[in-house]
Amino acid sequence: MTGLLRSELLKLRTTRRTAGLALGMVALVCLVVILHGMLFPARLANHDDEMKVFGWGAMGTLFAALLGALSITSELRHGTIRPTFLVTPDRRRVLAAKALAATMVGVAFGVVAEALTLALGALVLSSRGIPIRLDGGDVIQLVLGGALGAAAWAALGVGIGAVLRNQVFTVAGICAWLLFIESLFVGDLPGAGRYLPGAAAAAIGGGSTITGEVPAHPALLAPALGVVVLLLYAAGSTAAGIVSTERLDVS
Amino acid sequence: MTEVIEAEREVVTVRSLSKRYRDVTAVEDLSFSLSAGTVTGFLGPNGAGKTTTLRLLVGLAAPSAGEALVFGRPYCELERPACTVGAVLESGDFDPGRSGRDHLRALALAAGLPSGRVEEVLDTVGLTQAARRRVGSYSLGMRQRLSLAGALLGEPRLLVLDEPANGLDPEGMHWLRTSLAAFARDGGTVLISSHVLSEIAQTVDRVIIINRGRIVASGPIDQLTAQRPRRRRQRPLRRLTLEDVYLDLTTSTAL
Repeated sequence: MTGLLRSELLKLRTTRRTAGLALGMVALVCLVVILHGMLFPARLANHDDEMKVFGWGAMGTLFAALLGALSITSELRHGTIRPTFLVTPDRRRVLAAKALAATMVGVAFGVVAEALTLALGALVLSSRGIPIRLDGGDVIQLVLGGALGAAAWAALGVGIGAVLRNQVFTVAGICAWLLFIESLFVGDLPGAGRYLPGAAAAAIGGGSTITGEVPAHPALLAPALGVVVLLLYAAGSTAAGIVSTERLDVS
Repeated sequence: MTEVIEAEREVVTVRSLSKRYRDVTAVEDLSFSLSAGTVTGFLGPNGAGKTTTLRLLVGLAAPSAGEALVFGRPYCELERPACTVGAVLESGDFDPGRSGRDHLRALALAAGLPSGRVEEVLDTVGLTQAARRRVGSYSLGMRQRLSLAGALLGEPRLLVLDEPANGLDPEGMHWLRTSLAAFARDGGTVLISSHVLSEIAQTVDRVIIINRGRIVASGPIDQLTAQRPRRRRQRPLRRLTLEDVYLDLTTSTAL
């Protein structure tokens, strides 16, 4: 299994996709945090308001999900899945190794996004003379929650990619889901919406969704429950990916 | 007991193999076997079921009926598949953004092979110079060589090659032919599909010809060309070529 995991990690770092996604994430985080930090109304600077600046690290989940999804759809698209399955005919192990590798890189994505957001946000707000109201506990929750959310979403991405298979549909679907569809549910049907995977990630990562919204407190799950829900999604999605791939005729 | 020994000596055993995709039958009741140290050509027109058969053999698709065994077992139950069978099923199975060396390194890691094997097979196929370049910049012939390098990584005893001659220049073709001959001399077994009949005739010991998913002829080339054609189209006094036999068996008779 370690050889297989190392193989998947090598695949992730030997194309420009991973670096491209990381760069895209960094650029977007910089843009959004600086923009929101500059436009932030100074007189509203209470703790919850500041989360509208510091919550943008949640964007790591989107890029981690895309990373996980591309790790399987690119193999299906370019046909490298054939040599991959020839060397490892047990497809469950291939999918598990992909999910694990994506999770590991996903953690890095989450930590980078959160750390960058915190550093940039603090820089911009303090340069405007606005006091930072986040305490150490908030910072720990943002970084840990962001890392866990991105890790789970990376595995989720592998499962989604393995089920949908088509690269364009998968990427478009993940973006539409996280950036648009979930906000509708969380906003209009919070009772059910808070059990969705993006809202669960928001619940453990400091309460901010990926689109920068901070839903009122009861609209999200308690962080501990959020962790359980998110892990169930990651496991369920990987299992669905395995079932879908095991029956696949690779032609 | 004798049956077990027999099965072990048979490198490939295909029994009543069928593959149906919804209402299309790609392969129908195919049976053949390959013994060690032979080079077998797998011939047939486009759509005859060659590629489907090879994919069933290496476990990329599941048969609708029958079985395909490698060294007496289904491919998916082999303990170290990369060290037993080397297969090239499509020459384009690369991520264009990854270098040739990294492609092989990923396969070697998954197969549990030392990284030294990567350099060895790169040298074997003559790609050491180009190994750092991204595969997107490779010519078709270079991709064929890289595919073959991937198949050779685990020093397998059986090579399954789907149209490996495509895109090879005369020098590459010569290299492929001598490599396959050396591989078979050392006891390796080769199953090679092709539609380049003249190349096949020079490279292989025996042929299996399939048409519309069924085997229409098999045996040593000499034996096949010594037979009388089914239809009297050929001039009677000329010795038949492999091409005559092939066309006779695979051209539609429903006129």
